[in-house]
Amino acid sequence: MRGASGGMLIGIPLLYTMEVWWIGSSTAPSRMAAVLLFSFVPVFFLMRVSGFRQSKDARVVDAVVDSVDALALGIVCVTAVLILLREVTLTTPLAEVVGKVVYEALPFAIGVALARHFLQRSRNAGDDEGEDGDSTTAEATAARTGLHSTIADIGATVIGAVFVAFNIAPTDEIPMLAAASSPTWLLAMVAASLLVSYCIVFEAGFASQAKRRQQRGVLQRPLTETAVCYLVSLLAAAFMLWLFQNLDLGSPWTMSLQHIVLLGLPACVGGAAGRLAT
Amino acid sequence: MSGGGRTEAARSRRVPRSRAEWVTFAVASSVLAVVIGAVVSLWAGGPPDPPAFETRTVSVREVAAQFHVRVAVKNTGDETAQSVQVSAELTAESEPPQEAEQTIDFLSGGEEEEVEFIFTTDPRKGALAVLVRSFTAR
Repeated sequence: MRGASGGMLIGIPLLYTMEVWWIGSSTAPSRMAAVLLFSFVPVFFLMRVSGFRQSKDARVVDAVVDSVDALALGIVCVTAVLILLREVTLTTPLAEVVGKVVYEALPFAIGVALARHFLQRSRNAGDDEGEDGDSTTAEATAARTGLHSTIADIGATVIGAVFVAFNIAPTDEIPMLAAASSPTWLLAMVAASLLVSYCIVFEAGFASQAKRRQQRGVLQRPLTETAVCYLVSLLAAAFMLWLFQNLDLGSPWTMSLQHIVLLGLPACVGGAAGRLAT
Repeated sequence: MSGGGRTEAARSRRVPRSRAEWVTFAVASSVLAVVIGAVVSLWAGGPPDPPAFETRTVSVREVAAQFHVRVAVKNTGDETAQSVQVSAELTAESEPPQEAEQTIDFLSGGEEEEVEFIFTTDPRKGALAVLVRSFTAR
């Protein structure tokens, strides 16, 4: 779960890049094989430095096994997102599907490995803090109660959403994806956004997860926090689209909603990361 | 000192993989094998055929005294075609011929896209010719 969430944080901008879809669509099988092989190399070295396992001196065989896990996770996750974005459908030719998946899985798999590398230590430090310094944590948590925590959460969500979605909002990808989406797929996108946001903050085991569960405030419950912060991410997405003149108040509201929901996925991924960083 | 050494030893001790981890690895290997198999099967298919096109009329509907003709364009080759220019010419009795054009950004090998042309005359009462005029080879 942590790997998938880390991959999503790193890989989501490229999942919304049409040039990558096009490159994937027109790639020769020999190049696909090369990209797949190349994907394995950085992931393998990251796994050697700090794999999925606790021991610091990961053996070659462990790193290979973990790299296979990371690549497969990347392939499954990017396929799911490409299906949600309607870039992979039942009528998409096999060569196009494989090309898109192979190219998109590369940054995603690196994200999986990087998530382990950078966030595992922080998580352990957070866990230690929780065990050894209960009174300190309790005092710190008590100080951040009520309105202050709520405002901090909303602020962090907005900053994180802007950080990730700002470079997607002005692009043509959003109107292009909106043209291919239907109400059913938009509902699926909303569900996926909520699920990804919840998993990143409360299930992935990143740094500060324990602190977030102890946090007080109006958004105390994980499900409430996920839902409210998703709405905040949607507002941030709407503002970014408006800023880049991709949201016209005179346009039909259904079209605007499509654009906002589609940008809502990267925005809420960024928002979740932002809340973890506070 | 010895306590710290024991902790270090405990940290560096390798924990054998659990059954769940092996199951995960087996599933991951299967996913990777499917992708590698797909790449190999595409590779084994030999050199790709250049783009070739097939067109067919899907539907005609009347909207505000105009006729919208939906046409499916399929790339029957293997290579991707870029900037595919599609034109449609409608010739009806006692009417000057009407022409309409469309561009498809990308059409992968085996992919089908639908485009719409708009005419002021009912295409069912005339002869409609749809042609792919040009494309950029990738």
